[in-house]
Amino acid sequence: MLEIKNLHVKLADEDRVIINGLNLSVKAGEVHAIMGPNGSGKSTLSYVLSGREGYEVTEGSVTYKGEDLLAMEPDVRASKGVFLAFQYPIEIPGVATMQFLKVALNSQKKARGEKELSTPDFMRLVKERAARLNISPDMLKRPVNVGFSGGEKKRAEILQMAVLEPALCVLDETDSGLDIDAMRVVADGVNSLRSPDRAMIVITHYQRLLDYIVPDQVHVLSKGRIVKSGDKSLALELESRGYAEFESEAA
Amino acid sequence: MNVIVPKTAAELNYGLSLPHRKMEDWRWTDLRQLIDKPYPARQTVAASAKDVDRLLKSSPFAKVAGARVVFVNGHYSVEHSQLKNEHLASRVKIDEPIINMNAAFATDGARLKISGTADTPIELLFISTNADARTIATRNVIEIEKGASATLIETHVGEGSYLSNSVTEINVGEGARLDRIKVELEATEAIHLSHTHFTLSKNTVLNDFTLTSGAKTNRQNGTVEFKGQGTDAKVSGAFMLGGKQHADTRLLIDHQVPHCTSRELFKCVVDDHARGIFQGKVVVQRDAQKTDGKQSSHALLLSETAEFDAKPELEIFADDVVCGHGATSGDLNHDHLFYLMSRGISAAEAKSLLIAAFVGEAFDVIVHEGIKDALVKFSNKWLSQHRSGRA
Repeated sequence: MLEIKNLHVKLADEDRVIINGLNLSVKAGEVHAIMGPNGSGKSTLSYVLSGREGYEVTEGSVTYKGEDLLAMEPDVRASKGVFLAFQYPIEIPGVATMQFLKVALNSQKKARGEKELSTPDFMRLVKERAARLNISPDMLKRPVNVGFSGGEKKRAEILQMAVLEPALCVLDETDSGLDIDAMRVVADGVNSLRSPDRAMIVITHYQRLLDYIVPDQVHVLSKGRIVKSGDKSLALELESRGYAEFESEAA
Repeated sequence: MNVIVPKTAAELNYGLSLPHRKMEDWRWTDLRQLIDKPYPARQTVAASAKDVDRLLKSSPFAKVAGARVVFVNGHYSVEHSQLKNEHLASRVKIDEPIINMNAAFATDGARLKISGTADTPIELLFISTNADARTIATRNVIEIEKGASATLIETHVGEGSYLSNSVTEINVGEGARLDRIKVELEATEAIHLSHTHFTLSKNTVLNDFTLTSGAKTNRQNGTVEFKGQGTDAKVSGAFMLGGKQHADTRLLIDHQVPHCTSRELFKCVVDDHARGIFQGKVVVQRDAQKTDGKQSSHALLLSETAEFDAKPELEIFADDVVCGHGATSGDLNHDHLFYLMSRGISAAEAKSLLIAAFVGEAFDVIVHEGIKDALVKFSNKWLSQHRSGRA
């Protein structure tokens, strides 16, 4: 589903190189965890996949379902099934959450040539998905992410994912700022979306999220490239030994 | 030393001097230049029923208003009005260019006395039909009587090239409440000059909102005089400007007595080569202790050539007050845009959503849901017409 080859990324208005020869192959149905210390390039990778401005790809390629992902605008990527759950979801005053979700879902459907959802069908869908994530109707009445607590924002991201049903989910530090109970709710939400047609990239600093969302593969990112890959036991190993050895290895 | 400046054609035509940029209040709106040709006053123009009907329907509030008072080309229309004009004398006498022009040329105007609780909105609708360029001036006097409560809409629509001069005096009696919504949707070739003068008695509530989106040149003056304690006034506005439109709003909030609250919020969307100006002055006179006044203006500039000028002023002579002002201008927030696009929303639609959200904040002052809905609909229509095909 996703093929990243020799990816090099620098900041657009600085010379600083963030991703430095990254290779990653993710197949449908798989869950890949990307772990690494702060500053290793984890968030940059998520932004480059979703098309945020401010980054420049100097070398390499990202192929998604056989197409050049990097050539697409962010909205096109989304309608083709790429979803980023933000580490810091953005508050948008004045834009109602339900309106936002409906415009997003129907924009994607329109772009794919599918039939748009009627308002009643849409309401039913959101209510049903929201209930599973303990999201109150009151939260849905507020503007996008405005006044949400840290945990509410993360749940709202997973709700968007559950409503939009993307093919490739990139979760950027979805566990940060969550207590154990909130993490369980979020992880259950993510696990319920696991399917043979869907791939996930779970970016995290800590191993604990991976107790709940069990990955097929774990990669260690350091200084912009993957320095070690393994199965879920690699995450446990990192938890006990830390990232120090990889930082020196990459240097 | 008096410098003799030759009169412009328009000034000769009027027999009046026009304000110009050397006058502090008019530095951005030089009417000597902007009134580019004569607009003869007191012209009698017959309007066809078809034109009037079309313009009546063009008001965003066609379905919301309970009763209408309609003026066609500056004259009260018996046929289209549900309320009768009363005999009310004009009381505001200020030496000010727009008011002076109005005093010289006004042909008619709404004279309404409102008592009790008016359940449905009353719409004052000013229609100008397409004809040779001319000045159409109306003088309106509205009395909201003691303890009364009313929702008043003032709508200006038109076709063709004309200068509309509208002066409105509104007295809000003790314990009364007024929700007022003004919508300026004059023809694209029109000039709109107005002055609205509020006099607020004690324990009154004023919620005022003005949408400015029509006319090539627009200058609106507003004065709010606080004459009685315990009064609360909210004055909001939105500009939606494109092309080469020029809109200048000058607001004077005059706190003369203690224990009053004022809030001003203006949200200005300026695109293309348009220019928006907000001059807001809050005066707190020496006796007006415990005044709580806040004013802010925010502009969203959608093109490199759009311009917004803000001149906030505070003049405080009392020593126990809370007052503040703020002004910002900028373009759309790129993080917001990216977030919306990352969910599959196109750049054009994401921008429209954000612009609507920006402007919508100024609608919050409007209590009447039907009116608010009509304005949201208008702003969406403006966005889809104005921004279609752009990213």
